[in-house]
Amino acid sequence: MSEHDLFPFAHEWLSDMDTSLAANLEKWAASELMEKRLELKEDYAGLLEPAMRKLCLDIGLQRLLWPEAYGGDGHNTPAAALTITAALEQVARGDTSIALLLSGMWALQSCMAMEGKENPEACEAFADLFASKDTLAVTSLVLPLFRDEPQAHAKLSRGAWSVEAKKVRPIACGADAAVFGVYCSLDGEDEAGLIALPGDAKGVKKGKALLKTGLAASRNADVTFDKTKAPEGMCVARGREACRAALAWLYLGVSASNVGALFASYEILREWGDNRVIKGKDQVFKNNPLTSAVMGEVAKEIALDRMLTYNLARVLAAPDVYGEAGGERNFVTACMVAQQVAQSAEKAIGNAMEMMASAGYATEWNLERYWRDTKTMQLCLGPYELAKMDYARYFYQSQAR
Amino acid sequence: MRSIDDFTRPLENISPMDDPLGLIVRDWAEKYVIPHRRKFDEDYVDHKFIEPAFDKLMGEMGMQRVLFPENMGGWGFGRSDHVGTSMYRIMEEVARADSGMAVAYGVVYWPLLMIAVEPHVNYELCKEFAPIFCDTEEARFAANAMTEPQGGSDIENMEILGGSTIQTTAVLDGDEWVINGHKLWPTNSGGVCNLFGVVCTTNPGSRDPDDFAFIFVPADTPGCTQGPPYQKAGMAADKNGDIWFENVRVPKSYRAHGPGLDAMYFKEMVSLGNMASTAFVGGVLLNVWERLYEFVSEETYKGQPLKEHDAVAGLLADIARDAEVVRIVGYQNARMMDRPDIYGARWSDEQVAKARLYKYWSADVGMETLGKAMNLMSVYGADRDWDIEKHWRDLKIVQLWLGGKQLGQAEVARWFWDLETV
Repeated sequence: MSEHDLFPFAHEWLSDMDTSLAANLEKWAASELMEKRLELKEDYAGLLEPAMRKLCLDIGLQRLLWPEAYGGDGHNTPAAALTITAALEQVARGDTSIALLLSGMWALQSCMAMEGKENPEACEAFADLFASKDTLAVTSLVLPLFRDEPQAHAKLSRGAWSVEAKKVRPIACGADAAVFGVYCSLDGEDEAGLIALPGDAKGVKKGKALLKTGLAASRNADVTFDKTKAPEGMCVARGREACRAALAWLYLGVSASNVGALFASYEILREWGDNRVIKGKDQVFKNNPLTSAVMGEVAKEIALDRMLTYNLARVLAAPDVYGEAGGERNFVTACMVAQQVAQSAEKAIGNAMEMMASAGYATEWNLERYWRDTKTMQLCLGPYELAKMDYARYFYQSQAR
Repeated sequence: MRSIDDFTRPLENISPMDDPLGLIVRDWAEKYVIPHRRKFDEDYVDHKFIEPAFDKLMGEMGMQRVLFPENMGGWGFGRSDHVGTSMYRIMEEVARADSGMAVAYGVVYWPLLMIAVEPHVNYELCKEFAPIFCDTEEARFAANAMTEPQGGSDIENMEILGGSTIQTTAVLDGDEWVINGHKLWPTNSGGVCNLFGVVCTTNPGSRDPDDFAFIFVPADTPGCTQGPPYQKAGMAADKNGDIWFENVRVPKSYRAHGPGLDAMYFKEMVSLGNMASTAFVGGVLLNVWERLYEFVSEETYKGQPLKEHDAVAGLLADIARDAEVVRIVGYQNARMMDRPDIYGARWSDEQVAKARLYKYWSADVGMETLGKAMNLMSVYGADRDWDIEKHWRDLKIVQLWLGGKQLGQAEVARWFWDLETV
């Protein structure tokens, strides 16, 4: 029994394959990342890239949601929401930034490849990449910085989109992207669209990798799209509901990744609590009432975050019960869960660091890495103050923008 | 347009030196720190960008001399009635640029407080150590070697443990102390220290304050070894490492004051260390306000500057509130340090508890504020170029040091609620 079974969730929703995959990924995280990081820290070439290659290509997670007809493993049904949740928990436990990279990839794939709604033109165009066994399908999403305002604009002319954006900021991986998903305002249309573009398309200019707080596997950069062309079918989500569906899948991925980071933080804090002695030789750390109260609070946050995340996964996995992923209710739910879990992770890991004093911020103990990573990942969701406008719109029919 | 000078200070309580000092340090920060601070993280070992700024501030401008008496080349702050408020302003200004530099600079004074501040100036030791800091144009560093591997911040928990967990020993052998022990984490260790103040016991396991000894050890004394700096989440300008004392011999006179008094004045360092921590939070929040002002004025949402959105404005009000209130409370604490005749001795349980209270409260407020500021900036919140994420990483360390929040809570509860066992 994994120690993570400590944190309850509706596990009857998981298939045997989901459980087995999670168990394998737990081993991957241990052998490819956790056993090596004391020496290699956050080294991209030495640690993170090899671990990503093993995960995405050898284990094959970049093929997981891709249709069999296009070389994938064929788990391209809504039920995969639960599969990716179980997977991302374990991936993020090893490295949160790799989990975010997968979350973005699966969000984009969900627009192209979902059973019954496949986009043959996009599947054909990106089959070589997503089904590849030797090329990492590093995915970079260019989403609104502030709520629903696109950073890019696209115009359709003679069956092709021309995408324009200057020095826009993706949520991740802008420097290394093999494929971009660009949220654009569409010329002459009221609603936006998500356009998939190859990372090496003409007119794509990737800037220098930025220095940032965390998420070391995601080398981000500002990107310019200078009249970058794409066939009409590359608009893989057109209109509000379709775009919101992609975001809902992304938000699920972010939530599951936060839960994985919380698992890792729990393990680190547990070791500290078991072994640290305070007040001279009198007391093991976890047995002090003041500190145990804070440890209890950390565990509560993890347990509730996991429960919430699996409930969101279930909502997305069962459209026959809950409706389509991009419906307003489900989108707002996904947004609320993602924001709640992200804020909770910030609080819980921050509290865990406080318990560990100097060891909390020393890189040697690794906790500070999860703290930086989860905060950086939280920013991908955009400002909370503006997200609340969506909640008010749904619950109170507020017209506030 | 507003500036950071629009945030309130209690003007009737500050020293005449406050504005001149503040503006000198601000000018230094603008020229020598702010243009370079985004390179500091990768410079945590070599300090090739950090060291020149320290040399300018501490050596050339002489800010490492301020505590020493004037006749020894110092500025006499240690014997003034504005040591708290003057130091608060300096620390706030340095922290506005880089709180790692602020702590490294501030800790130069920390062990020296034991011997250079009224009413307990030890003129003999001031005369002995003043040349290290006053006869040079280069930065010189002092460090408090307190934390040990087995007990962490237990050493600072003097009320309950009475120094009984200290493993570093000092044995008097003729006219010399012989010191043995292993310390971790002091600010200004990691190879840069020139003078250590070492927390020792003369009788291991004892809770008797007479057995608590604070002994100065020049870093070049045979048997004293500094390890390399640790890598941390932030605060690259503050080097921390291991220190080993192996049969280190120093003159008997290097003990700060002697039995009982060392333990008593050690608590004064806790008070002033917490006050300085509040100043670091205050300085950081002022710079957060500056940087965020620029961001929310430049970035637009729905065709208007981001700051003009009503919900965003509500958050911006909270952030300004936090910077304002931390500054007022911090200056109040500094005033309490200036005037022990009104507020009680700086080493009293009351002053220690209240300084801890202000520190852990302000650090919590600061972290919450920084987290919200980063969130408001969307993906840009994680950019090194916007500086706010750096302050977020640095301030977390302020929140965790000096025994962290729980030790602070225990000390506060003990004093306000007359606890006897916590």
